[in-house]
Amino acid sequence: MASTVELASAFIEGAPPGEMSSPALTSEGDDIIPSLLPAFKRYNETQLTTVKLPGSSQEVIVSEFNALEDNRYFDPESQTSFELDHTTQTASGAQSYHLESSNADLIKSLLKSFGAHAREHYPNCSYGVYPIENDSAVAILLVANRYSPNNFWNGRFRAFYQVPVSSPSTLTGKIQVDVHYYEDGNVALNTTKPLSINIPSVSAESIVSKIAAAERDYQEALNRAFVQTAEGAFKGLRRQLPITRQKVEWEKVGGYRLGQDISGGKGR
Amino acid sequence: MLRFVVFDCVVHLSGKQCAVSKQFAQTHLGIKSTQATVTSRSFSHCSSPSSMVSVDIDLLPRRPGNMHAPPPPKINTATHRGRVYRQHSPFATMADAQFDSALDLLRRLNPRDTKTNLQAITSIVPELTEDLLASVDQPLEIRRCPQTNRDYLLCDYNRDGDSYRSPWSNEFDPPLEDGTVPSERVRKLEIAANESFDVYRELYYEGGVGSVYFWDLDDGFAGVILLKKGVTPGSQSSGEWDSIHVFEATDRARMCHYKLTSTVILHLANKTEALGDMDLSGNMTRQVEVDLPVESDASHVANVGRLVEDMELKMRNLLRTSPILCCLVEPIGVYANTGFHMTEEVYFGKAKDVVGELRSLGPLSDANRDRETQREMIASMQK
Repeated sequence: MASTVELASAFIEGAPPGEMSSPALTSEGDDIIPSLLPAFKRYNETQLTTVKLPGSSQEVIVSEFNALEDNRYFDPESQTSFELDHTTQTASGAQSYHLESSNADLIKSLLKSFGAHAREHYPNCSYGVYPIENDSAVAILLVANRYSPNNFWNGRFRAFYQVPVSSPSTLTGKIQVDVHYYEDGNVALNTTKPLSINIPSVSAESIVSKIAAAERDYQEALNRAFVQTAEGAFKGLRRQLPITRQKVEWEKVGGYRLGQDISGGKGR
Repeated sequence: MLRFVVFDCVVHLSGKQCAVSKQFAQTHLGIKSTQATVTSRSFSHCSSPSSMVSVDIDLLPRRPGNMHAPPPPKINTATHRGRVYRQHSPFATMADAQFDSALDLLRRLNPRDTKTNLQAITSIVPELTEDLLASVDQPLEIRRCPQTNRDYLLCDYNRDGDSYRSPWSNEFDPPLEDGTVPSERVRKLEIAANESFDVYRELYYEGGVGSVYFWDLDDGFAGVILLKKGVTPGSQSSGEWDSIHVFEATDRARMCHYKLTSTVILHLANKTEALGDMDLSGNMTRQVEVDLPVESDASHVANVGRLVEDMELKMRNLLRTSPILCCLVEPIGVYANTGFHMTEEVYFGKAKDVVGELRSLGPLSDANRDRETQREMIASMQK
C-alpha cells in the first residue's frame, strides 16, 4: 500500500487551479510537510505557478526550464533570479541575473513578439522564453489564470512550446486547459492538445505567428466540442422526454398492482 | 465508537442514562441490534431547551469467531441529514475535523478520480471509511442477480456487511441468513416501484440498468432510486450517467411529506485530432421537499415517480443548458465586474465560459478600444 506521503503528494499534485491551499488531511499534522516538498515542487513546476518578484507587481513563471540550483529560478525578461518557497509559493532573495546563451538575441526578440501576442489574447497571463537542451533549442511557456473562489470556479490555461534552433525546424508542444467549478457539486474540465508544427525559418515573427494560429484553431475546436458533447453524447445517455413526447403516466405503469397480492416479495 | 447528536428525536428517556429503543436504532440509524450496542444520554445545551441526545454506538463483531473487523452499521446520512447531525461542539473531535477535511478534499480533487481518492483517504484515515462511503456518491456498480439473472445496482442502501440485496429476488449475494430486508408492506411497495421505474428507465434511458431499494422508518419509509447508463458512440468518445435519488416519506394525515435528495454523476470524454483529449467530469446534488396527498400505498409510487421524473428533467437541463451553447468569448471579467452570481442555469457550461475568460479569440486591444468608445459615448450622453 502506498505511504501517507505518497498519497498526500498525489493530492497536492492533483490540486485544481488556484486551490493549492486547501486543507491537508493527515493525522501527523505539520510534521509531514517537509516530506511533501518534492510534491509541492513538482506541482509548482508543472502547473507553471506564478510568483510576484519582491518589490515588483510583475508575476513570473516557475518551471523546470528556468530552474537553477537550491530552489532558485530565473526570469530572462526582468534579468532577475529568485528563491522560491515551494509550500507558500512566495519568492525572495532576488538578484540580477545575466542570461548566458548563444540564442540570447532570439530569446530577446521572442519575448518581445510573444509578449505582444500574449497580451492581445490573455487578459491575465505570464510567459517566459528560456534556452534549453544545451542551448540547442528554446522553450516558450505561457500560463493564464482566472480565480473566482467567491463564485466557486477557477481556471487555468497552459501552453508549452519547444523550438530547436535550426532551419527548418519543428515546433512541438502542448496546450492544457483545466477548469474547476464546485458550487453544490464538483465539475472539472481537463483538456490536453499535443502540437507539432513545421517552422520554415527560425525567427521570432514566424514562430509566434504559427503559435497564434495553433492557439486560435484549438480554441475554436474546443468551442465546437462543447456544442457537440451537449448535443451528441448527452442525448445518448438520457432523453429529455420519452419518444412519445409525454411524461410517464405513473398511475398506469405498475403502481396499480399494489392492490393485488404480490407473494411475500419472493421473485417477480 | 461512533457518536451522534440527535435533535428532537423520539427516544425513551429514563434519567441521565437512557436507553434508545432498538427500533429507533434500527430505523433511524440502520443498525441492527446484533451489530451494535446503543446507549444514549441527554445533555442540556446552552441554547436548546429540550431534547438533544447524544447516542453512543459501540460496534460488536458480526459473528463470533469472525476475525475480521466488524462490519460497521449502515448509517444512512443522506436521508437523515435533517435529523441526525454529525457532532460538532460541544463534543467536537479530531475525527469530525478530519471528516470535514476529507469531504472538502473530495469536493476539490478531480471528480473523475473520486474512487481512487476515496481509497487513498481511507487508507490514511481508516476510521472514516464507513462515514465517507455513506456520504460520498460514486458511480454505481452493476451485479447480476443469480436467482433471476437480471442486473441490479449496488449502493450502501442494499448492502449488509459484504453482501448486497437484489431488488428482483430480495435475496442477499453472497447469501445472508439474517440480512436486513424491508417489512412486507414496504417490500410490496419496493416491488411496485421497481416495476414502475423499469418502465421509466426504458422510456428515458432506452437501456441502462436501474434498481429501487426501500427500507422502513418509524413514521413512514425511505428509499433510493438508482439509474445508470453508459454510451460509447465512437471509439474515441464515451459518456456515463449515474442518478442516485434518496427520499424519505413521512406519513401525515391523508398526506405524506417527501424529502428528495438527488445526485447526478456525469462523465464525458472526447478525443479527436483537432481537439486532443477532452474530459468533462462532475457531479451535482439538488434537494426538494414537498407534501403530497396519499390515497393508498399506490399513491406513494406515483408521487415518488413524479418527483424523480421532474428532478431528473431539471437536472438534465441544468447540465446541458445555454451557457454551454453560448458564445465562448465573453466580455472579459463579466462576473468579476458586475458581481454576477452563479445561478443554477450555469453548470457544465461554466467550464466553457471560463475558457473564454482565460483566452480571448479576438484581440483584446479591439475589445478594449470598443469599451473605450462605449465609455466615451456614455460620457458624452451624460453631459
